[in-house]
Parts: sequence; C-alpha cells; structure tokens
Amino acid sequence: MSLLDLSRWQFAITVMFHMTFPAITVGLSIFLSVVYGMYWRTGKAVYLQMFRFWRRIFAVGFAIGVVAGAVITFQMGLNWGVYGAKTGPIIGPIIGMEVVTAFFVEAGFIGVLLYGDGRVRKGTMFVSTVMVSVGTILSSTWIIAANSWMQTPAGFKVVHGQFEPTDWMRVIFNPSFIWRWPHMLAGVLISASFFVAGISAWYLVKGRAKGFARCSMSLALGIAALLMPVQLYLGDSVAGHELPYQLSKLEAIEGNWDNGNTGFVLFSVPDQQAARNIAELDIPCLGSYIAKDLTCKTAMPGLKLTPAADRPDMAATFWGFRVMFLAAVLMFGTAFAATVLRIRNRLWTACRFHRFVLWTTPAGILAILGGWVTAEAGRQPWIVFGQLRTSDAVSRLAPGEVLFSVIGFSVLYLIMLVAYVVYIVRTMRIGPERDDPGQQPPPEDLPDTGRSRPAEDTAPRELPVPLGSREVAAR
Amino acid sequence: MTTTLWAATVLVCLLMYVVLDGYDLGIGVATLFERDPVHRRHMLESVAVGWDGNETWLILLGVALWAGFPLAFGTILPHAYLPMIVVLFSLIVRGVSVEMASQAPPAPRWTTAFSVASLLAAFGQGFALGTLTSAVHVRGNVYTGSAFGAFSWFCVLSGLTVTAAYTALGYAYTKHKSSGRLRESAARRGAAATAVGGVLLVVLLFTVDATAAPLDLDSPGRAFAFAGLLLFAAGGGATSLVTFPARRQFRAADSLPLGGLVIATVSVFLALAVARYPVLVPPGLSVDSAAGPHATMVFILVGIGLNMPLVLAYNVFAHRAFAGKFHTELPGDEPPAAHGPLVTGATLMTTRDPGHAASLPAPLRVVLRLLAAVVWTVLGLLAYFVCQGMFGGYRQIHSQLLTTLGMIAIALTGGIAWIVDERRPHDDA
Repeated sequence: MSLLDLSRWQFAITVMFHMTFPAITVGLSIFLSVVYGMYWRTGKAVYLQMFRFWRRIFAVGFAIGVVAGAVITFQMGLNWGVYGAKTGPIIGPIIGMEVVTAFFVEAGFIGVLLYGDGRVRKGTMFVSTVMVSVGTILSSTWIIAANSWMQTPAGFKVVHGQFEPTDWMRVIFNPSFIWRWPHMLAGVLISASFFVAGISAWYLVKGRAKGFARCSMSLALGIAALLMPVQLYLGDSVAGHELPYQLSKLEAIEGNWDNGNTGFVLFSVPDQQAARNIAELDIPCLGSYIAKDLTCKTAMPGLKLTPAADRPDMAATFWGFRVMFLAAVLMFGTAFAATVLRIRNRLWTACRFHRFVLWTTPAGILAILGGWVTAEAGRQPWIVFGQLRTSDAVSRLAPGEVLFSVIGFSVLYLIMLVAYVVYIVRTMRIGPERDDPGQQPPPEDLPDTGRSRPAEDTAPRELPVPLGSREVAAR
Repeated sequence: MTTTLWAATVLVCLLMYVVLDGYDLGIGVATLFERDPVHRRHMLESVAVGWDGNETWLILLGVALWAGFPLAFGTILPHAYLPMIVVLFSLIVRGVSVEMASQAPPAPRWTTAFSVASLLAAFGQGFALGTLTSAVHVRGNVYTGSAFGAFSWFCVLSGLTVTAAYTALGYAYTKHKSSGRLRESAARRGAAATAVGGVLLVVLLFTVDATAAPLDLDSPGRAFAFAGLLLFAAGGGATSLVTFPARRQFRAADSLPLGGLVIATVSVFLALAVARYPVLVPPGLSVDSAAGPHATMVFILVGIGLNMPLVLAYNVFAHRAFAGKFHTELPGDEPPAAHGPLVTGATLMTTRDPGHAASLPAPLRVVLRLLAAVVWTVLGLLAYFVCQGMFGGYRQIHSQLLTTLGMIAIALTGGIAWIVDERRPHDDA
C-alpha cells in the first residue's frame, strides 16, 4: 500500500459513505415537501403522520450527510493538496457557490423543518420544508457541475501548472454536465422512492398502520413509475454524450480487452496485469443491440485500445456499472409490476409483491453508489481527465498519518452506518402510530394566515393500531 | 484589491464560525460538567436547532480559502493534518449524536458522545490554529513537511485557550436561553470559564513572539490598531465577567455576557489578523503569493459576495425561529397512546375478488398464470429496451423520436395508473 493507494482508499470510503445519505435525503426532502403541502391543503391527518414519521428518518440521515460532506471538502486540501492548489481557481468557486446558495439555505430552514412542528404556522413550516428541498437540489447541481468538469474539462487554460478559468459558462455547463445533472436528480428521487416504498411495504406485510403505509407506498411507487422510464432514457443519453470524451471509461465498462465482441459481458473477472478476463459470461448480440444496432454487427471497443498507463481499473469500472445496471433492471421491473397491479386493482392485496418491494429498499442507493464508482474509477488514472494524473495530485504526507485517518474513518463510519440502520429499524418497530395526530390532541398550530381551506375531513382518522408488548417496552 | 477583499471575506467566515460554532461547541463542553440529565437535555436541544447552520461557516471558510488562496488551502491543511482529522472525526460524532439524542431520547450514550466530541473538536481547532505559527515547508507549490513538524507547546496552549473561550461562549448562550437553576449554574460556571480563558489568552499573547510567527507591530498604525482592539477585547471580557453572575431577571443580565464575549472574541481575532497581515503561514506564504487568478477572484467576489446578505438572512431566520427561552416540551417525548384491539397480518386488507379465474380447472389456471407471467416479463423487458433507447438507431424511420415518445408513453401510463388507483376508495382503517 503506497501513500497514493491509502489516500485513494480514504477518499473512496469517505465519499461512498457520504453519498449513501444524500441518496436518501435529497429525495426524501422533496417527499416531505409534497406530503406537508398535501397536509396543508387537505388537512388530512394521515399526511401529517407521514410527514412526522419520515422526518424522523430524514433528520438523522441529513445530519450524517452534512458532517460526512464537510469531510470531503477538507480532504481536497488535506489529502489532495496538490489537486487543491492546482484546481482551486475552478473547483473552489463552484463549491463556494454550493455553500452559499445551497448549504446555508438548508441549514437555515432545517431547524424549522425538524423542530418547528406546532411552534410555527403551517405556512412557515411548508415554506421551510420546500426551502430545504430547494437547497438539496441546488447542492446536487453544483456538485455535479464540479465533478463533470473533472470528467470533461472545458473553458480553462493551464498557467504554471494551475488551472485558470477562461470562460465560466463553459466551465459550469461543460459537455457532460447537461446530461449527468438530470440523471443524478432522477437517481436520488428514485432511490428515495424505493427506500420509502420498501419501509412502507414492511407495514403492509405486518398489517400495521395501513392508511399511512398505503399512502406512503402509493406516492413512492407512483414517482418511481413516472421516473424509471425517464431515468433509463437519461442514462443512455449520458453514455451517448459523455463516453465519446472518455473512451477508456467506455471500454472498461463494456469489459472487453480486445475489439470484436458484439455480445454483452454479464459477468467477468478481469486481470488487469495480463490484460485478459479470467472468467467471462456473455449474452450474444446484446452489446450490439444496446449500441442501437439490431443487426448484431456493431462490436464493442476493447481496453487494449488505450495505452496501458492510461487504463482505468477494469474490475471497479465494470462492476460498478453492472451494479447500477442490474439495480435499474430490478427497479424498472418493480415499477412496471406496480403499474400492472394498479391497472388490475390488485396492488393493495398483492402480499407477495409487498414482500418483494421490502427487499428492493436499498436498490436505488446501490444503483447510485455503483454509478459513482463507474464515473470515478472509470476516470482513472486521471483526476482531471486528460490533464492531471491522480498520482500527481496527492499530498506528500507521512503514510502513518494517512493510515491513522483511513483506519479512523473506516471505524467511525462503520459505527455510524450501523447506528443509522439500528435507528431506522428501531423507528420502524416503534412505528408511525405515535405520529398519528388522531391519537393525541393535535399540535397547537398558530392561527393560519395562508389560503389554506378549513380542514374539511379531519374525521377519517386511523383507528389506533396497537403495538406488540416488545414495542411498548421499547418506548 | 480583489485579494484584500477576499482575505477580508475569509476573515469574516472565520469570525462567524468561531462565534457561532464556538457557542454550540462550548455548550457541548459545558454538558460535561452538568450532572442533571434534564439540564443536559435542554442544552443539547438548544444546539440541535442550530448546529447545522453554524457548522456551515466552517465549510464556507474552507472553501473560501480554497477558491481564493488555493496554494494556502493545499499547504495549510496537510500542515495541520492530524489535528484537522481529529476535528473532522469529532464533528462527525457530534453532528450524528446530536440528532440521535434529540430524535430518539433519552440516549445517554449519544449525549456523552456529543460532550466528548465537542471537547475534542474545540481543542483540535485551537491546536490547528496554533500550527499556523510554525514554519511551513513548501517546495515547488507542494507541501513537504513532516507529520509532527508543526506541533509545539504553543499549539497545546492555543488549544486550551480556544476550548476555554468556547466554553465561556457556551455558558453565556445557555444563560441567555435558559431560566431557573440551569441559568444560575451557567452564570457561575460561565464567569469561571471567562476568567480562565482571559488568563490563558494573556499568556498566549505574551508567548506568541517566541514562535516562528512573531507579531509584526513595527509600523505605528499597526501597533495602534492592535492595542486598540485588545483594549476593546478587554472591555468585552470585563463586561461579561461582571454581568455573568447577575441573577436578577432582566434582559441585560442575559444578553450582556454573550455580547461582551462576542466582542472580545472578534476583537482578539481582528487584532491578531492586523498584526500578521499579509502573512498566512510563516515564513513566506502570504496572501498575495497564495492568491488565485483574477478571473476566479472576480467570480467569487461577485457570486459569493452577492449571496452573503442572503446567507446572513438565513442565519438570522434560523435563530429568530427559536428565539426566547427553552421550551420545556420536547419533540419526541409524547406519552404512549392508548391501545385498541390487537390486529395483525394483512388479513384486513381489501379482500380480493376471487374473480373468474377460480372457476377454471386447476391445471389450466397454472398454465394461464405461467403464460401471464411470461407475457408480462416480455412486455416489461420490451418497455425497458424502449426506454433505454435500443430501437433508436434507425434514422430513416425517425426511430429516435419514436423511442422518446414511447418512453414518455410508458412513464405516463405509470402516472395515470397511479392517479386512477388513488381515486379508488380504499379500506384503510
């Protein structure tokens, strides 16, 4: 393990851990806005119950996302000081804009979102929730702009080894940004949808809190059914528009070393040194089909086209892409099945389908992580594609220092991940029953000045669904 | 000009961070000395509503340094690698434990983690600031120092001073936000923390000349400004020292300790900035030598500068939304509700209409089911391939356009099915 390897591992660990949380919380914040908006408009208790329950899961996930994100920013100087000094004039301002237009918006309104229920007006509550989701969307916009510039750099010149911006429009709207941004946005919405649908399915399976679970799952699967087709289309467009700039990434994704394979490599164990696959399983002709040639004549380019020194690691790129691809097939199938069941009016009686949806809970998060592995591992050995090598960008630290921080981050993040999963499971066990405003006097909302209609049907509240004795004890 | 303006912006970020996260880190340190769990809970809650916004200033500070002074960002951070890593570790633990403890109370272990992490973060920040007084080794724009080369007894002293100052700020904020016994104990301990912090600061100022970064007070203007700001700081410190113990319930008794400490903190940092400008890290890393290109400076000054008033407005909004003393009622503390009859399983869901399929003979039903499964799978795969653009390669029949329309149709089918299903009556009770 060299210093470079340690620093790369540390960045991989910290950035993947971080990404897990925005994958949940960006979509969930939009979900919360919709749900609170529905509550404000219709006054139905179930929407307030949904808002409160999902907010519990959102709150901790958001906090972990924020602190893990702060780590990433500082690592650009700590572990990648040369990168920080050289790309600072371009990446620094983009992240700076992210901080002032997104982080502060989120931070300013998150307090009201989390603790304002019953202390502020419904209108303020709604606006704060919407502002937090606006902040999360803006944040992902800037971060994709920065990362896309590293994939397809544009609008710059190099002066004394330092990148200087010449045209900010071309820096921000660089060739790959245009397609990667909607792809990422749809991705986080879909991953949050499956996260919500899966947890709601658990209540349907258990027969608890039915109104709550049905509403949550219906909303989540509805958004998934709308967005999954769009996402496949966007994903294909990303490949079509970005990969011409990064042929080495395309070659590594396809998993071939030599030219001429018209099949689609489904499984492979690549050997980077020997430049061959130890084991490989192909679906004939599918590769050509995916390249939009139904005559089975278009062959995939092999990684040997790229000089050995410029080759990305095939195993990471190939498998990152396969994880995203297979998760997408799974999620598209789930959304498709849900639509079919809905048309036949069977969705809410299909117990086996509920059980299946429960297992798709992490599918979206895995797809996002896989996609990022593809994007980042496929860019190697460059940190700024074609301009700056990763090995030239690392801080000259003592390996012992980096070893300490790698071990520290690994242990800490493992604990945090376990703690968050335990927290989610505990929150699920306790359940949304305690969040039902029908079970206790409704929160003392201040008089509303908004245009909200007087609550017409507060009557159809859920019957109290009891807890098992263990759950009562847990409280 | 742009460089100086941006250096001022960086300083503003540093001051905002030190004051804002200073008080909430300080509250964390203060919970270490608090025995009453209810009081600890109140203190933690007062951090929970605002820590995110306060900590964002640290990120802005880092990014402002990165964007405007990339060379400084790339050398100061490796220079202070270990303390900064400890600070980041502590901030992670702190952020998570604050939310864990306030979302799922009482969580005593998370509360302890919060206190300890606050202490480590405060000390680590002071320590990291202290490393700015030791010489940095740069060769060809690349940092070449050693792991412990930046450490000295001065860093420890600086860490202790910052911890004491944060704690004093934390107690001042607690006194400002609380009432009753918590307010009294905050007043007593706050005065002690202020006194300790003041003494440590005096020692620090007298010893800084022994480090690699002596204060530059040669010109009369600098010396005058330095002395004036320190006088200001002394005034602020004295004000809070005097008003901390005031027990009567009037506004000034609650706001003056906090105000005095804020003025003292800001003045001390300004004084040090005046005495060191334009050196960022000794010996040679100055504001000018680390500045980024002109196009970048203009972009950040306009883009980030214009957003600053908004940023401040969000901060004010966040603090105003929870103005006043603590609420005794905490979210998540609702008493358990009454329980109805026990219902389990999915048996109560809308019972399925047996339909016509039940009347068919069993083997035929199995065959039909299999057939349906195959047909739906094929249809699903076909829909997948359409959306994925597999049939988009034939220009002569405009297949790319047709593919796009097909994708939209598939998405809309899902949406329509959703709406239709939502409008059906559901047996949710």
